[in-house]
Amino acid sequence: MRELELYFGPQHLGMVGNFSITLKVEGDRILEAAANPGYLHRGFEKLMEYRTWIQNFPMVCRINVVEPDSMEMVYAMAVEKLAQIEVPERAHFVRSIYLELARVGSHLFGLWAYANMLGFDTVAQWAMYHRDLILDLFEELTGGRVYHIYIWPGGVRRDFPPGFKDKIVNTLHSIGACVPDYDSTFFNNRLFYERARSIGQLTQEQAKQWGATGQTLRATGMPYDVRKVEPYAAYDKVDWDVPVREDGDAYSRVWVIRDEMIESVHMIFKLLDVMPEGSVYNRIPNPFKWKIPKGQAYVRCESSRGELGLYMVSNGGDKPYRVHFRTPSYPNGLIILEKLLKNASIADVGNIMISLYVVAPEIDR
Amino acid sequence: MDRNQITKWIKAPAKMANKYSLHAIYFCTGCGIIEVPPVITARWDAERFGVIPVATPRQANLFLITGYVSVKTLRAIIRTYEQMPEPKYTVGFGSTHLWTLIDKDMANGYIRYRENYNSYRRNQELVLGELEWPPLFLVSDESQGNEQ
Amino acid sequence: MNNSLRRKLEATFKDIRIAIPEDGRITVTAENCSILAILRFLKDAGFEHLALISAVDYIEDNEFELCYILTCYMQGRDFEGKDLHIILKTRISREDPNFQTAIGIYPNAEPYEREIHELFGIKFEEHPRLTPLLLERKYEIPPFRKDFDTRKYVNDLFDNIPPVEIEEK
Repeated sequence: MRELELYFGPQHLGMVGNFSITLKVEGDRILEAAANPGYLHRGFEKLMEYRTWIQNFPMVCRINVVEPDSMEMVYAMAVEKLAQIEVPERAHFVRSIYLELARVGSHLFGLWAYANMLGFDTVAQWAMYHRDLILDLFEELTGGRVYHIYIWPGGVRRDFPPGFKDKIVNTLHSIGACVPDYDSTFFNNRLFYERARSIGQLTQEQAKQWGATGQTLRATGMPYDVRKVEPYAAYDKVDWDVPVREDGDAYSRVWVIRDEMIESVHMIFKLLDVMPEGSVYNRIPNPFKWKIPKGQAYVRCESSRGELGLYMVSNGGDKPYRVHFRTPSYPNGLIILEKLLKNASIADVGNIMISLYVVAPEIDR
Repeated sequence: MDRNQITKWIKAPAKMANKYSLHAIYFCTGCGIIEVPPVITARWDAERFGVIPVATPRQANLFLITGYVSVKTLRAIIRTYEQMPEPKYTVGFGSTHLWTLIDKDMANGYIRYRENYNSYRRNQELVLGELEWPPLFLVSDESQGNEQ
Repeated sequence: MNNSLRRKLEATFKDIRIAIPEDGRITVTAENCSILAILRFLKDAGFEHLALISAVDYIEDNEFELCYILTCYMQGRDFEGKDLHIILKTRISREDPNFQTAIGIYPNAEPYEREIHELFGIKFEEHPRLTPLLLERKYEIPPFRKDFDTRKYVNDLFDNIPPVEIEEK
């Protein structure tokens, strides 16, 4: 049989985000795959060197469209570390609740993409609807649905409005009441089991060698979570478990997503119970003329796809000298995807890619 | 009655059919793609206006440009756009696209991606020729569902 | 914990400088020739995860600085207390930047080095695939260097596109 070069290009029904893969196929079997990112490259890291520390916040959000909150968090953490700013206690709790809500929203988006690709349209519509309820909460808190510039170095921008706590509880209860429906329609469905079992299988050794973090690694049996290993914000003040599965294929990864969502909801209820009173904001010096002392910092947090890190260098001025994001989709989309697609069939490309949860703007920045 | 009137009468049902059945192509151009799934799913249901996503360019007549366009994407856009049959329409979607539409003389590039060496700054010149023009149709991030 | 690792490193390799601030981010500065040996030593000591390879352009010193950020997956294996990272830095000259590749030690270094080659112009020897990853055009100066003026580039390129005539119906 002859070899053929196919472009699984940006315009494709199985593709979420602007990303393409060049495949060399022989019949139905893939011999070699080469990922082709760069459709969304905006050169953020270079653009950030032209803007002051505060002016960079609207740029930082746009690196990851699905969950911009973890990006803001990691940038604010780096700036606080370089400038040595303390954050009040209540702000830690508010940040944790905010990040966990964003995590649930992002996992629901991933569920939409995956269920849509497999053909489970009903579950996809439910997931998107429930994510919209969470975006309504964000709109009331911060004013924007998707890009909220809420986390600020020194705390958060404003406190919860009155009655917000009850709104969070009601929304999460209404989402949680649908979990049996989700389970019986999608997660316990025999069709999903048949289609996702043994697809994109990774062993723990391979995952560690190729730099995987997040649910790709947790689905192979290793309970590695940055929130437990290096707790930031208020994650060490409540009791929670890291969901882990054993097999390392697409089925396990999607089940880890479901377990994480339920764990996040429980964590939000616990955090709301123990949240202290106080201010949520420590004043920073004049943000328009703010010079940060010379130094370097590497901070990290757990976004919904894995470990998100930021390496920041400052040379004492009012603009960053070098900013470099370590995004979790980078090893997933560029190394692991290419290795997993060898000897797969063309029909499984979308399955593998979306179960690895590759978000294209994170790779290109 | 003259010929113009008759032609208008005959074309009117066709125009109305076009207006209420825009099939959008499934292509995520930029970062505004995050708001397209809420538009086409159950909450801000666009299917009541007749807008559904379809798989291939040959079946579509609406192209969504969701945000800025980079150099690499432009090639894919032109290839996809040329495969779409007539009549076809373009919609600029999202606040990033609004920023890139600002003309050079007016704002002199006071846009978010001012120094970006990789993206086009004037999206209106992407699509040429005989089109209904998008400024009537700009959908911002917060207002989908309220348009039309 | 930190001190035993520090003593082992200083015993094995000469002429490296180690700085340990309180937050657990050990900074190791070394010469070019011993970087690969240090990476292999650290990988055997338990730092199995290469999180990032980054490059910073110090144009006044006329040098690039390459940083390797290493973390470990299992806490408490050789070290107790806070989670340790190692930031391994080295300087290479800006005139003709060349370096060895780390793929033999950490297989996931491949796209990071490819991106640094494309954006900074640093060549990595024996890298299997140094083709462009993100960019499409050719730039005379690699875009992330400090002497690449993006405003001038954008003005020259995008404003020289002639406007298109849209016909009236």
